[in-house]
Amino acid sequence: MKTKKNTISATPNVTGSFSSFDFAGKWSTPLFLIVIYVVIGFFIWWLNIPFIEDIFTSSTINLIMVLGFQMYMGNSGILNWSYVGYAGIGAFFSAIFSMDPMLKSMQIPTMYPFLVKLHLPFILALFAGALIATLVAALIAWPLMRLSDSVGAITQFALLIVINVVLSQWSQVTNGPRTFTLGGSRKTTYELVMAVAVLVIIAVFMFKESSLGLKLRATRDDRYAARSSGINFIAVRYVGYVASAFIAGFAGGLYSHYILSITAASFYLSQLFVVLSMLVIGGSMSVSGAFFGTLVVTLARQGLSQVELGLTRSGFEAYGMTEIVVAILMIIFLIWRPNGLTGGRELTLNSFKRLIGKKKLKPTGNRKKMEEII
Amino acid sequence: MENLSTLAVKSISKSFKGLKAVNDVSFHLKTGEILGLIGPNGSGKTTTINMVTGMLPKDSGHIEIDGQDISDVPAYKVPVYGLVRTYQKIRLFKNLSNLENVMIGAVGVGIKRREAAVLAASLLTELGLGDRINEPAQGLTFRDQRLVELARALAAKPKFVMLDEPAAGLNELETDELFALLKELPAKKNIGMLIVEHDMRLIMSLCHRLHVLNYGRTIAEGLPDDVRKDPEVITAYLGSAAS
Ligand SMILES: Nc1ncnc2c1ncn2[C@@H]1O[C@H](COP(=O)(O)OP(=O)(O)O)[C@@H](O)[C@H]1O
Ligand SMILES: [Mg+2]
Repeated sequence: MKTKKNTISATPNVTGSFSSFDFAGKWSTPLFLIVIYVVIGFFIWWLNIPFIEDIFTSSTINLIMVLGFQMYMGNSGILNWSYVGYAGIGAFFSAIFSMDPMLKSMQIPTMYPFLVKLHLPFILALFAGALIATLVAALIAWPLMRLSDSVGAITQFALLIVINVVLSQWSQVTNGPRTFTLGGSRKTTYELVMAVAVLVIIAVFMFKESSLGLKLRATRDDRYAARSSGINFIAVRYVGYVASAFIAGFAGGLYSHYILSITAASFYLSQLFVVLSMLVIGGSMSVSGAFFGTLVVTLARQGLSQVELGLTRSGFEAYGMTEIVVAILMIIFLIWRPNGLTGGRELTLNSFKRLIGKKKLKPTGNRKKMEEII
Repeated sequence: MENLSTLAVKSISKSFKGLKAVNDVSFHLKTGEILGLIGPNGSGKTTTINMVTGMLPKDSGHIEIDGQDISDVPAYKVPVYGLVRTYQKIRLFKNLSNLENVMIGAVGVGIKRREAAVLAASLLTELGLGDRINEPAQGLTFRDQRLVELARALAAKPKFVMLDEPAAGLNELETDELFALLKELPAKKNIGMLIVEHDMRLIMSLCHRLHVLNYGRTIAEGLPDDVRKDPEVITAYLGSAAS
């Protein structure tokens, strides 16, 4: 370890070696995540087992959702319960836009005629659905943005309930509490979700590193200091919230065109729990946290549901075990490692090197020293 | 001489439920100048800074920079007018790196991110923290935290900075070093500096002028040597048993 003895001096000592583009310490992160993700993707494609491919596709949609969730919640520190509601809005509206009018009038006889007439190509429909979610967020979010902490969380939760009730009761749009069936073939493909996931990893990371993302992270850590440094915390939160609603809406559209029949309940508490557990366990403050949280929780869930199935087959009713174990895991993390697996840090070339280098160091039994090395 | 700017604080007051925390206080500060705002604990120094920087609504009074009234400017726009502050109780962004902490000062006044990064790096290097640029602010010593906070304020390229007890929590050596640094800043960067500090010895050697508060009221102002002899100041300080 370096011995630290630097005296305060007023004489400039600019080395000139500083570059604002720091690959090893920062910009290697999206590259790492994308490489890991794409390698997994190609491996599963090569395996060519439909059942595993399906798991990969649906997990990727979850990954996209968790990344968008991280983008606002992780950077602002505000518990954003309403998030999955926007996924629901995107899911329904993209389906409405993409479905053939004939099919629509058959599947949802109650639908408004002007909605029945609307028809867009699939990709445009995804964007349009996401834009509707964004618009809804833009219209209602402003007054909520000044609320922080528990008040903010409760308000967001109430908003989720509002969105859910509207989605589940507005028969002329969503078919009400009945299932909304898209019909036709599955449009959300393996390649499409992979491409979107790669783009979203880049987008979310760039957001975090942008001026706006930096300002948002500052408001998360200290609202007063941010304010006196020139940051309007309401405005930066607003932009972050609305932008994350776009990703939620887009992911929702991918979901509805994958699963092909949805209800408002698909975008409520159980889905919220899925994305929340992934983000919390991975570590909400980093994009790497969202990524590895999704990876780890997905693997855990798949493993657990196999166990659940096995137990149930052998006559031991174990339904719900997966949820309970994931919930307990989340609690354990919140107690012992509140910043998740990643500790709120990003996987970078530097941290990777340290990780490898650290193994060579013999632990001295001095906890403080180890922490310094990490 | 570079552009000369003036910050004028005119008769500001603030009561907290009947307690007059700041009562009709006026002063002015020019770029290049160091003004010491002193007074016993609870005399209203922090409240004054809070009001001047817009963090706390005033009951009455005005703040002007070069004749422009900024009394009603929201706190987050005050830095754009060239006025920034630091806190008595250090307020850093603990999950951000030192570089990012300082960058905030710059992007907060609209400097582009890349330029902000270069500026932040050079400020940190200037303050002797060049080798800790990418470390999280969380693990720093008090002294280094103070320096990062100062760098963050300077990154806004301000005309005026208000430092609320910048030496609080530092040992004697660190304090002396910090004050040596602060003494050079106003002339070098053409900044008007208001500093709150308890230690009379330090204040006397650092400040060009002093402004003394007691129970929220101005009890003396002027040159350090004159203020030191002021009987009311002596009573206030002896009364509070401060150094
Ligand atoms: N937010 C507040 N609410 C109520 N009273 C306050 C508040 N802030 C400061 N005060 C009171 O105002 C007076 C001045 O406080 P302050 O400005 O912090 O003094 P100083 O910084 O000179 O030590 C004190 O009596 C303090 O208790
Ligand atoms: Mg104070």
